[in-house]
Amino acid sequence: MTEPRIVFAVDDDPSVRSSLKFLLSTVGLQAETFDSADSFLRKELPDVPSCLVLDVRLPGLSGLEFQRELAARNIPIPIVFLTGHGDIPMSVRAMKAGAVEFLTKPFRDQDLLDAVLAALDRDRARREQEEKVADLRRRFDSLTSREQEVVSMVVAGMLNKQIAAELGTAENTVKVHRSRAMEKMHAQSLADLVVMMQTLKHLPKKAL
Amino acid sequence: MSSFSTLRVNTALEDSIPEAGASLESILCTEELQRRPSRPSDYEKENRALVALMSALADSPSTIFQTLAETILDITQCDSAGLSLLTRDGKKPDVCGKRFYWPAIAGMWNPHVGGGTPRNFGPCGDVLDRNRTLLFRHFERRYPYLMPVIPAAEECLLVPFYVAGEAVGTIWAIMHSDRRKFDAEDDRVMASLGRFASSAYRALIHMEDLKFQVSEREKAEAEVRELARGLEAKIRRLVEANVVGIVMWNLEGAITGANEAFLRMVQYDREDLASGRVRWTDLTPAEWRGRDERAVAELKASGIFRPFEKEYFRKDGSRVPVLLGGAPFEGDGNDGVAFVLDLTEQKRAQEKLQEAQQSLYATQVDLARVSRLTTMGELAASIAHEVNQPLTAVTNNASACLRLLTDRNLDPEVLRRALEEIVADAARASAVIARIRAFIKKAPAEKSELDINEVIQEVLALADHELQKKRIFVECQLTKTLPLVLADRVQLQQVLLNLIMNGIEAMTAVTDRPRVLWVQSQADESGEILVAVRDAGIGLGSEADRLFTPFFTTKASGMGMGLPISRSLVEGHGGRLWVTPNSPHGAMFSFTLPVAGGSPS
Repeated sequence: MTEPRIVFAVDDDPSVRSSLKFLLSTVGLQAETFDSADSFLRKELPDVPSCLVLDVRLPGLSGLEFQRELAARNIPIPIVFLTGHGDIPMSVRAMKAGAVEFLTKPFRDQDLLDAVLAALDRDRARREQEEKVADLRRRFDSLTSREQEVVSMVVAGMLNKQIAAELGTAENTVKVHRSRAMEKMHAQSLADLVVMMQTLKHLPKKAL
Repeated sequence: MSSFSTLRVNTALEDSIPEAGASLESILCTEELQRRPSRPSDYEKENRALVALMSALADSPSTIFQTLAETILDITQCDSAGLSLLTRDGKKPDVCGKRFYWPAIAGMWNPHVGGGTPRNFGPCGDVLDRNRTLLFRHFERRYPYLMPVIPAAEECLLVPFYVAGEAVGTIWAIMHSDRRKFDAEDDRVMASLGRFASSAYRALIHMEDLKFQVSEREKAEAEVRELARGLEAKIRRLVEANVVGIVMWNLEGAITGANEAFLRMVQYDREDLASGRVRWTDLTPAEWRGRDERAVAELKASGIFRPFEKEYFRKDGSRVPVLLGGAPFEGDGNDGVAFVLDLTEQKRAQEKLQEAQQSLYATQVDLARVSRLTTMGELAASIAHEVNQPLTAVTNNASACLRLLTDRNLDPEVLRRALEEIVADAARASAVIARIRAFIKKAPAEKSELDINEVIQEVLALADHELQKKRIFVECQLTKTLPLVLADRVQLQQVLLNLIMNGIEAMTAVTDRPRVLWVQSQADESGEILVAVRDAGIGLGSEADRLFTPFFTTKASGMGMGLPISRSLVEGHGGRLWVTPNSPHGAMFSFTLPVAGGSPS
């Protein structure tokens, strides 16, 4: 509950900005507002769960262009869109591009709060997942290259004997590598290790 | 000769002579002629002489005087013979002349040809004064002026010489020695030759005159010929240059000649022309015959017909637009010439221009539509955004307050600030509404006196492209000479365009009947101008009542603002706009406008 979270809101209307901030404060959410997409982009984002409340009619960069820009910069912040008049094709595109919600102004307070909380949850989950993967990566990186080779062959389903033959070494040596790797990876079982390797494999190559 | 020339110019001498010289009587011996033994008349010789003179006259009239002098010399057997003529210019005989000159001298004095004496200082003057033949002996005794003219004259017989009854000179014969003396026969012959000389001279003058006239005439003719040749060359150049078509025609309808340019225009060849198959009456399409007849009437009345545009059939039956102008030749006016200018290029250019204008109109119509739609669309979006922003803020603030109230956690200061913002945003929303209302009213109308029919025509032109594209036939029933209305032209155009566009759109789906749009103007019973736009479209159905409600629309792309705005514009002009069903199909939109200059009767 005391976990720090922050809601960013971009709207060109100061009244809307301050009223949003007030409304969010009633449920204990901290909000930071911006009058344009550019000023938001200049902001150094804190490493806490956060979301973005965005008016689609923005001066300069439009809301949808802004969404694309964020994706291009690899900023995976969940977005709650606000719009002046219900534009169905626009909302469909926004949702497809990963928007959490698309609200028509003026909206019911509960709808906005629900959407914002959902967005924050989504961001927290993403962060947790990212953290887990990063941890796995760190562990994997701590293996020696021979241990990494052995792990790759193990999760591919090869027997110790086969691995030994492949690497041109003794079966016992393979066993030692394997148990050290299991220990370093904090894997309780072979199945555990397989899942871990599977997770790493699906990760973008960023960490490699 | 040289000494004589000196005399001629020595005028000082002329003045002193008469007083110093002998008396006239002392040098005259005319009476002696009759007393002297006379020679027998030699008529044969005389006749021969006359014949010689005649033939000289015929052969070389300019030397007749010289021939005469020689004839006198021959017949009288004297030493010198010649002719003195009174003259003013030294050439032409003139009774009022101040000097005698000697155009011809034969015999010993021949070297003195071209010389002469002053009128009153020589024997010739005496002969003219007395108007008779005189015989002088040594006249240099009285007239020292003649002393240097050698050899001296022993005797001189002078006979008056008449032209047209007036004595203008003398013919004379001189003996420089006493070898023989003049007698009565000489007197007779000289008189006879004198008469002959007169008539010869007359003939000569006449012939000279004739010759002059002939030469003048020849000169004039040559000039005319030259002119004609030049003109003909120019005309030929014009005809053969083929920059314009040239046609020779007659009123019976024949084309008697034409240049290549014309034949090319109508696609006939020389053979066709020679055969007489090419007739301008046949080349003329039926609807242009009336125009031709007018030109012929003009030609007969004024001798020319002013250029006019018409069409000719080409050989292949197609038509060529031309400009035609011409005039008849001299004479009965039945034949003439005309120039023919091919207007195909001009027409094509004109059509292109018209097409360009059409597409310009089309663009304008589209633009009017687009700007109408964009304006309305943007207006609507703007309304939504501008009103939504403060509404959102109000809602947010109020909701937040409610939440805090529910949680019993509302700080009065927070509440106060929130309420202040709510009030401010509510005021902002209402300001937006006021601004929109002002926008719709827009600029004040600029009213001027307008002819409603003119405005209708303008709008129809504006919508022309749309009407053609949708294949809609417009039937105008405009009452002429309607009173003017006081209105804003642009607003009136907007209303009419809106009604016409509505009519067009109402008929686009119609396929089972003609798509007709009626536009009417008239004065209604109260004297106001009534304009009606009727269509044969899908009609109003049950929606007629709601048509003028803002944002009500039956059209897929409509904003529902056209008719409400049109109505408010018409009402702004003091008129009314209403709709009634049209029988059997469609709708009729009518509006009235008061006439300019106060209330109608």
